[in-house]
Amino acid sequence: MEQKDILIDIKNLRKVYKLGHEKVVALDDINLSIRRGEICCILGTSGSGKSTLLNMMAGLEKPSRGQILIGGKDIVKFGEQRLALFRQKNVGFVFQSYNLMGSSTALENVAMPLMFRGMDKDQRERIAHQVLREVGLGNRAGHRPTQMSGGQQQRVGIARAFVSRPKIVFADEPTGNLDSKTTIEVMELMVNKSRENNQTLILVTHDNEIAEYADRIVTLVDGRIISDVNNVSKARTRQEIEQEALAAAKAETAAAPGGQDGILPEDRAEEGRTTDE
Amino acid sequence: MKTSDMIIMCLNNLRRRPMRTFLTTLGVIIGTCAIVVMISFGVAMSKSQEEMLAQMGDLTMITINNWSGGDPDIPTLDDKMVAEIGAYDGVEAISPIVRADWGKIVIDSGKYKYEDSIYGANLDALEKLGYTLAEGSYPQGNEKEIAVLFGSQAAYSFRDTKKSRNNYVYPWDQTGSGEIPDPYVDVLKDDMTISITVTDEDDKPKIKAHKIKCTGKFAEDYNKYETVYGVFMSIEDLNRLNEEYNKVNGTSGTSSGGNKKSYETVYVKVNDINSVEAVEEKIQALGYNTYSMESIRKPMQEEALRTQLFLGGIGLVAMLVAALCIANTMYMSIYERTREIGIMKVIGCVVGNIRTTFLMEAGFIGFFGGVIGVVLSYLISFLFNVFGGGTSFLGGGMMWYGGGGGSSMSVIPPWLVVLALGFATLVGLVSGYFPSNRAVKISALEAIKHDG
Repeated sequence: MEQKDILIDIKNLRKVYKLGHEKVVALDDINLSIRRGEICCILGTSGSGKSTLLNMMAGLEKPSRGQILIGGKDIVKFGEQRLALFRQKNVGFVFQSYNLMGSSTALENVAMPLMFRGMDKDQRERIAHQVLREVGLGNRAGHRPTQMSGGQQQRVGIARAFVSRPKIVFADEPTGNLDSKTTIEVMELMVNKSRENNQTLILVTHDNEIAEYADRIVTLVDGRIISDVNNVSKARTRQEIEQEALAAAKAETAAAPGGQDGILPEDRAEEGRTTDE
Repeated sequence: MKTSDMIIMCLNNLRRRPMRTFLTTLGVIIGTCAIVVMISFGVAMSKSQEEMLAQMGDLTMITINNWSGGDPDIPTLDDKMVAEIGAYDGVEAISPIVRADWGKIVIDSGKYKYEDSIYGANLDALEKLGYTLAEGSYPQGNEKEIAVLFGSQAAYSFRDTKKSRNNYVYPWDQTGSGEIPDPYVDVLKDDMTISITVTDEDDKPKIKAHKIKCTGKFAEDYNKYETVYGVFMSIEDLNRLNEEYNKVNGTSGTSSGGNKKSYETVYVKVNDINSVEAVEEKIQALGYNTYSMESIRKPMQEEALRTQLFLGGIGLVAMLVAALCIANTMYMSIYERTREIGIMKVIGCVVGNIRTTFLMEAGFIGFFGGVIGVVLSYLISFLFNVFGGGTSFLGGGMMWYGGGGGSSMSVIPPWLVVLALGFATLVGLVSGYFPSNRAVKISALEAIKHDG
């Protein structure tokens, strides 16, 4: 691995939580280097510290010790303001529970990171619309999250994470709330999107199947890395992935528009309104 | 983040909970109304007080009284000093008033003689000093004769020298005919001369009688008694006559009697009521005694201010409750939006923007409440003025001065509107400050885990 390719470089990272008088070591002696454009999965069971690791890489949590160099800069030393700007410019997020703004439309949700950057309304909505089309929700721009299915919401979430073309996209159990069919759609969407622009995708999951989408799988147990393997042998080739994605896209267009979960959009809209308050 | 986006965002947030926004704003509306209406009563009160004082005398006049005698510490109040005071900021006009010594100078018109008060003054300044003419005009300065102005009743002071009894015409109806008789002399038309008197009875030197021309008659103003029975001429003319008198009689007095060339009385007109105090203090600092309505106005004004503050204080209580309302609403709204705030932080909203949006939200509630409150206050004020009996609030004992037509019960001056809007917005911002700090402190990580 060449040094200049390394985007994220974690050195001797340790995190200790204090629970009353007891100390709980969430992460210990983590050393990890992630290349630009790499799709890296952090795999672990609940309580293994995988989410903690992700939060620290995103600057949401401070480690007890160690360095997190991103693009050569130690974000551990950043203040809150600088971290916010760092996230604004370099980081996208996909959450398990989607975390969309309930009061905003899909379009507004996707455009939000651009708004925080100070982009004009026209410009950011044009870009957001484009990205929404790319995730297959071009006709849902005006809908609110409550009027959409889980899979659709997560695609809005993905659009939001990728809209500003961040260097790194973090995804914390992005398919945790989705059924298996939607899981495949969402995973492929994310992987394809990050490949398109050579973006680094860091995926946190407990699901071995999900991990298969990654180039590299880092396994955490009790806060320590127990294995770090390149997934080349097991992983499908890039070509295969693209073919599958193509097939999936075809399947989607074949299905009733927006109605994968069997509920008509109008019904959902009604449902959404009544539960809005 | 663009300011316009922040404004849109907080307006959207306010719209999301219309009822709550309305109720919170209502609190501010009531608070604003309470303050504005209460203070408007106080303003109306002090306004009618000033109307009353204006009837008592000119509020912007200062009279300098200089009875210093020979006190060496007090500078001579001469022409130079008058000019110096005249140059003070806010001084619009200044004139010494000199009264000729009794009996030194007389005015003759045929067999009629005027031996009453003769004054010297800066005639150009008189108009600005508040002297008004009932007839004629002020001298132009190009008259051949000595120009004089007569007091409104001064013509009645002419005495018929051919009679020893009953030799005056009185300015009232003596015969019951219902008519006030004309004086002996029509001062605006008849020829008159002025001359000095001679004290030496034995050896009467020849004295010269100067022709005079009366260019105008003063309107009656009992606040300036000299405008009633006195005759005015310029100080220069008076001084010339005085020198003549000294020469003939071998004396050395000045026109005003004393040996020092110092004026005893100087009138100063200030251009603005609020400058009176400053000018007066400056003059007092020179060592002169002064008199103005300020000494009456000031305590009354202070009293009015106290009343205004008291009334405003009552309104303030309502505003305080409104402030608590806003703070409560903002706290509620922040708790509700904890997750949203967290998401915003995670996807790159800087802390300052979050604080600003919340402050704006609270500020908007304050501002809108203020605007509606002011509009409503005008309505309430109007109703009070129409149905409130047309007399000043708390004004039972003060009705006696309410002669002027403008004694409203409630007056809302523009400054009160600006003050109310500013204050309402400030209340919003202040009560939004602590909640917004809370929003800033929300941990992004905790917030996105937050269910809701």
